[in-house]
Amino acid sequence: MVTSDVLIPIVMARLLRNGESVFHGVASPLPMVAILLAKKLHAPDLVYLNITGSTDPVPAHLPRSTVDPALFAHTRSRVTLTDLFDLSARGKLDTAFLSGVQIDEHGNINMSLIPGDGGDVHRPKVRLPGGAGSAAIMPTAKRTILWRTKHDARTFVERVTFRTTGGNVDRVVTPLCVLKRVNGALEVETIHPDVDSEQVRAQTGWYVDVDERTPRTPEPSDEELRALREVDPDDVRLIEF
Amino acid sequence: MRNKLTSLQDAIALVSNDAVVALGGNTLHRAPIAAVHELIRQHKHGLNIVKTAGAYDVDILCGAGVASAVSAGFIGYENVFGMAQLYRSAVEQGRVRANEHACYSVIAGLRAATQGVPFMPVNAFALSDVPLAQGYRKVADPYSDEEVYAMPAIKPDVAIIHVHEADADGNGRIYGSLFEDVLMVTAAKRVILTAEKIVDGATFEAQPELTSISGFMVDHVVHAPRGAHPCSCHGIYDVDLAFLSDFSAHTQSPKQFEEWLSQHVSSAKC
Repeated sequence: MVTSDVLIPIVMARLLRNGESVFHGVASPLPMVAILLAKKLHAPDLVYLNITGSTDPVPAHLPRSTVDPALFAHTRSRVTLTDLFDLSARGKLDTAFLSGVQIDEHGNINMSLIPGDGGDVHRPKVRLPGGAGSAAIMPTAKRTILWRTKHDARTFVERVTFRTTGGNVDRVVTPLCVLKRVNGALEVETIHPDVDSEQVRAQTGWYVDVDERTPRTPEPSDEELRALREVDPDDVRLIEF
Repeated sequence: MRNKLTSLQDAIALVSNDAVVALGGNTLHRAPIAAVHELIRQHKHGLNIVKTAGAYDVDILCGAGVASAVSAGFIGYENVFGMAQLYRSAVEQGRVRANEHACYSVIAGLRAATQGVPFMPVNAFALSDVPLAQGYRKVADPYSDEEVYAMPAIKPDVAIIHVHEADADGNGRIYGSLFEDVLMVTAAKRVILTAEKIVDGATFEAQPELTSISGFMVDHVVHAPRGAHPCSCHGIYDVDLAFLSDFSAHTQSPKQFEEWLSQHVSSAKC
């Protein structure tokens, strides 16, 4: 049986295209692994961008922080964070990886807060880390791929309690399935191997149209599994689980 | 130029309570921690901390009662240690105001200050509850009437930047990632550099293009070896995971945090 820590980065990598520019921000070990994996497998000319300001780094080891100097190794140029946001703002960033503590049916994310009494946003019940650059990137990047390592009805909610941002969400990759945004709403595109369609329905906070005929996410190939071991031999990505 | 070398104590003594203070670096990397610890030792209070993405720096300033507002896009230890507990509880208890930003809107505010204009249009927040919560407003393009969010200028009273090398005039070199540090320098009223190494400025003449920060924009230079620890400093030291793990374990109760502060910050020599 294939585990989520193996399947999720492989599925994320499959979504990436050769030649496109792809960005991840802070706290993004799985996107880091997925991008390096895609470059190794089918997208050698993908342009890998991240907060360190490197392009196409070749890290000697994978760091736990995705702003680490390890992600600056072998870059041939240096840009600033401003340059990366500007790139997205003028519509030239192809793909961004983002996530949310809550993700709703329309692909809105909440990384900000759970409001306090009477909807108070200044004295929140829970203060979350904040969306980092997502409120700028998600509406302007050509597409966003969301990922989460948890798929339950507290995470996948009908409506976020605070909208950090909406935007150009294309896919959402979870431990149970891949969701695709169609006409503004997230639909289940494929269900992962060994996952029951009833489980997807029960653990999603809105009605999802799934049954035994819903397509299955293809199992990882031997080539994909081998490439994943080469990219992340120390299993750094496990800190997300 | 005049010699700007000074002690950490004297440089930080010039930071007034209630100041807007921009901190260089990003999350666990090249944050000016020696200066952050000195702000705590000098019992500063009421500071509004400006940062794109912060971690230990902002967390400990919130826990120690130094910060009363945080203007940032992200505060957390990424996946390394989870939530910034001191920041989180300070906001939830109303001791610190979270001025939520997208990182790009912090940059826009700093750009406005840098360019001497009151606000800066920013292509962000098109589909967000943040502007309403924070009072960010739109302006109409006078040429097309298209509306765009306008970020008020963020004009730090002080920017504190940790660099690899500086000379006595304040010329500063940063190796590896720059983040938004040069923008913080140009936006701020006063600039403090803390440096791993103080070098003879004549050595910069062979390749001046490697000097990102010009001395004429800098007010004070402090020699602070390992001045980003426990954060990383590109090419010199990595993130100190053991130190941060110990810190993180002591942020669960105020008493433990006090003990940790007195052991690692209050009594520490700089």
